[in-house]
Amino acid sequence: MKKKIRLIVNGEEKVLTIDVQQTLLEVLREDLGLTGTKKGCNQGECGACTVLLEGKPVSSCSLLAVKADGKAVTTIEGLAKGGQLHPIQQAFNEKGAIQCGFCSPGMILVTKSLLEQNPNPTTAEIKEAIAGNICRCTGYVQIIEAIRSLVP
Amino acid sequence: MTDYNFIGKRIPRVDGLAKATGKATYTVDVKLPGMLYGKILRSPYPHARLLKIDTTAAQQLPGVRAVITGEDVRQVRYAFVDTPRYPADEQPLAVDKVRYIGDEVAAVAAESEAIAEKALSLIKVEYEILPPVFHPEEAMQEGAPVIHDEQFEGTSFWEEWGVTEQKKAVKQNSAVNNLSGHTLISFGDIEQAFRESDYCREDRFELKATAHCQMEPHAAVASYDPLAGKLHVWLSTMGIFLKRYFLSRALNMPASKIRVHHTFVGGAFGGKIDLFPYEFCAAYLSMKTGRPVKIELDREEVFMTTRQRHPIIVKIKTGVKKDGTILAQDIKVIADNGGYRGSGPVVIFLCHGFSFPVYNVPNYRYEGFSIYTNNGIRGPQRGHGAPQIRFAIDSQLDLIARDLGLDLLEIMRKNVRKKGDVLPNGDQLNSCGLTECLLGAAEAINWQKKRKQFRTMENAGRYRRGVGISLCSMFSGAMYYPFASAAVVKLHDDGSATLFTGAQDIGQGSYTTLSQILAEELGIGIEDVHVVAGDTELCPIDLGSFLSCTALVTGNAVKKAAADAKRQLLESAAELLGVEDLTRLKAQQKTIFLEDNPEKTLSFSQAIQASVLKRNGNPIIGHGSYKGYPRAERYPSLAKGKGLFTGAYGFAAQAAEVEVDTFTGKVKLLKVVTFHDCGYPLNKTIVEGQIHGCTSMGAGQALSEEVYLEKGQLFNPSFLSYRLPISLDTPESIEGIVATIEPSGPFGAKEVGEGCVAGILGAIANAVHDAVGVRIYSLPITPEKVLRALGRI
Ligand code: FES
Ligand code: FES
Repeated sequence: MKKKIRLIVNGEEKVLTIDVQQTLLEVLREDLGLTGTKKGCNQGECGACTVLLEGKPVSSCSLLAVKADGKAVTTIEGLAKGGQLHPIQQAFNEKGAIQCGFCSPGMILVTKSLLEQNPNPTTAEIKEAIAGNICRCTGYVQIIEAIRSLVP
Repeated sequence: MTDYNFIGKRIPRVDGLAKATGKATYTVDVKLPGMLYGKILRSPYPHARLLKIDTTAAQQLPGVRAVITGEDVRQVRYAFVDTPRYPADEQPLAVDKVRYIGDEVAAVAAESEAIAEKALSLIKVEYEILPPVFHPEEAMQEGAPVIHDEQFEGTSFWEEWGVTEQKKAVKQNSAVNNLSGHTLISFGDIEQAFRESDYCREDRFELKATAHCQMEPHAAVASYDPLAGKLHVWLSTMGIFLKRYFLSRALNMPASKIRVHHTFVGGAFGGKIDLFPYEFCAAYLSMKTGRPVKIELDREEVFMTTRQRHPIIVKIKTGVKKDGTILAQDIKVIADNGGYRGSGPVVIFLCHGFSFPVYNVPNYRYEGFSIYTNNGIRGPQRGHGAPQIRFAIDSQLDLIARDLGLDLLEIMRKNVRKKGDVLPNGDQLNSCGLTECLLGAAEAINWQKKRKQFRTMENAGRYRRGVGISLCSMFSGAMYYPFASAAVVKLHDDGSATLFTGAQDIGQGSYTTLSQILAEELGIGIEDVHVVAGDTELCPIDLGSFLSCTALVTGNAVKKAAADAKRQLLESAAELLGVEDLTRLKAQQKTIFLEDNPEKTLSFSQAIQASVLKRNGNPIIGHGSYKGYPRAERYPSLAKGKGLFTGAYGFAAQAAEVEVDTFTGKVKLLKVVTFHDCGYPLNKTIVEGQIHGCTSMGAGQALSEEVYLEKGQLFNPSFLSYRLPISLDTPESIEGIVATIEPSGPFGAKEVGEGCVAGILGAIANAVHDAVGVRIYSLPITPEKVLRALGRI
């Protein structure tokens, strides 16, 4: 069954006719070509598909796109503005928090939401915030360092 | 050492921004016009004969463009190991039998994934179920079900590279059932040495299968151009030239008719080097339909049907003198390689090759068996044999230390090899910082103060802490197809350069470290280096990102190519500046100047222009190449361990502090320490990142990770049930870099990023023993095993 939905993706309005069974991840990747959002498991267990829905992190593989109808979605493509990297992207790159990079979009978005809610997280709070995002490459050490470097 | 401009510096990754912004294209992101989607039908049985496959209904489903079965590809054989002794035993789709749950039976290409999925459900397969066998020690017995009984014919992979003369010598050792590989290596006289030993001990250790858990699932896109007769593929891989070679043999096409295109790779860890049926099927289906075809495995398929680390049983007998000097070691290894050979004969060779550089054992016997069972296929995984064997050897050494009332640290110190040692196979340790690593790690973990071994159990409460240590080593490249890496450095009008390299950045940071080597050697900035990589058409051959060869082998090729470009540049500059002696010229920041008269300068642009206009039109292109191991003519013998293995070994000492909850049996990893002799760190941030990744993976495999199989069925094919480390498991981490300067390495560099997945297992097992006084002989160290050992359940 098809349905028309409206999404505000990275500040731009998109009106789409989609299959009601499509996940938000599928709509982003397949219909909108926003492949920065990754599919690591499609089981809601890795966080690679994390996007911000109304500013809150969600696993887009586990959310039907129709549930996001009328809502604001931020993907990794929406972070750098006017050719300027977001400070989180900068910090991740400088501190070695990116290796293969497959978990990075999700990690960076989760970090954004964390720092917006809690600009002064402790290391334990950082670990807690990214606990749903798996990274096999870094052992999390440099990711945690990158996030800590953003804490004043 | 410190006057480098780029080497050793914390240069951010050159591909970091593409990855941080979501712009980096991985294979899973590739979408071509008119692309079809492929799916694979898999066996639900661990061992069965294929009687009949009926694809009629699937063929008729609207939207289905092709259905293929083993009938279509009867003649096709390939394998990671394909030698006269061990001929290829894999086929893209089962022809006579299926040999594990997940074995490929048919493939479909359709207009959408959903249609392809539906088509699979319409294929009818009749099986005759055969008795399976799942445990290697049972599979070895007489009378066990025989998993491979087919006859192999044809030329093997290696014969094309000139080893036909070995063919006659080949005879399978048939005394053991289901044998897929055998290695026997010995030196000295172990019987005599055991008699002369003051103390001997025999133990048995066991490790379970583990998963790579690359975050990007395995995927392939293939697009065949019938007019040019050319196949274009995008693969999530670690070695584009090896893949192209495998594919060209399997498809019976000239290698040059296949082009592997660059994509970023979302993690590999050894698990993306074999040729997989889904890759072959994508190519074959594209050739059949004339349309691009994409096959992406789902997470469950990745766990079940790609590759796992070999579960291994290690039996060791060691004889020592009273002071802990090792006199003799007799090691027997049994590796379960699953339904196909995978890398079985390689892992049993590498259990020896990655371990014997650590201790000087004068009398030694090593025997390895790789065995077919009806489990999933096992292949290379970071460390490839090293974690298993290092865990066993250093666990036993800790037991010996305790039995003799000696300090493990002292025993290790007494027995470790040193710089200048020549190994029994002839490999030379021209750099070896094992002793420094050991002392550094011991100090960082606070060994003298924290080691409980010599103290009475003053801490008898619920939570008990202890420390442990272990050592490891790893090759820096080896002789494997295509046996060398080459690089091309092309200069541009503006003095910047493009590096062409066949090496692929799989996350280890090679584009960055290779750019640093180029920039340093040529005298330009990092931002002046452009990288074109991972494309078989554009780039010269490369060994690939496995066997830890990128830093040393590809690094040397790049350094030579940059030096070659620089020489041409200086020759042109010398003419303009009226200088005869090239050694008077220096190049830095895209400027050439006279060392004794720094006022006299020339830009790279000017020198390049002069080379084009005033000399012979040469726009300046530098070439460089480096053999996998310059001293070796060919690869070593897997069966006998003869021949040279690698040009340089990386070493590490790793220590761990744990806290054991004696009520629940849970082990908490508090602190990990790695002191790594990587020759010289090309980029400290990257070296540390590799160490973190290794220790995290090793710690996961020590404490929780296990591919849980029962009767060949995988019970935990998802991240959460598989239990790999998450952020909350991250311990305090200390890393030390021991710079020994490897003479054959580019700027002294050698391996990092693979070996130190291995030492952490023994370090943790030894720390658990130190904490609670019991030995866990099998990994992972689950709460249940701890409670059992403590006699609580
Ligand atoms: S892809 Fe959504 S959580 Fe893994
Ligand atoms: S950087 Fe590779 S999974 Fe995180």
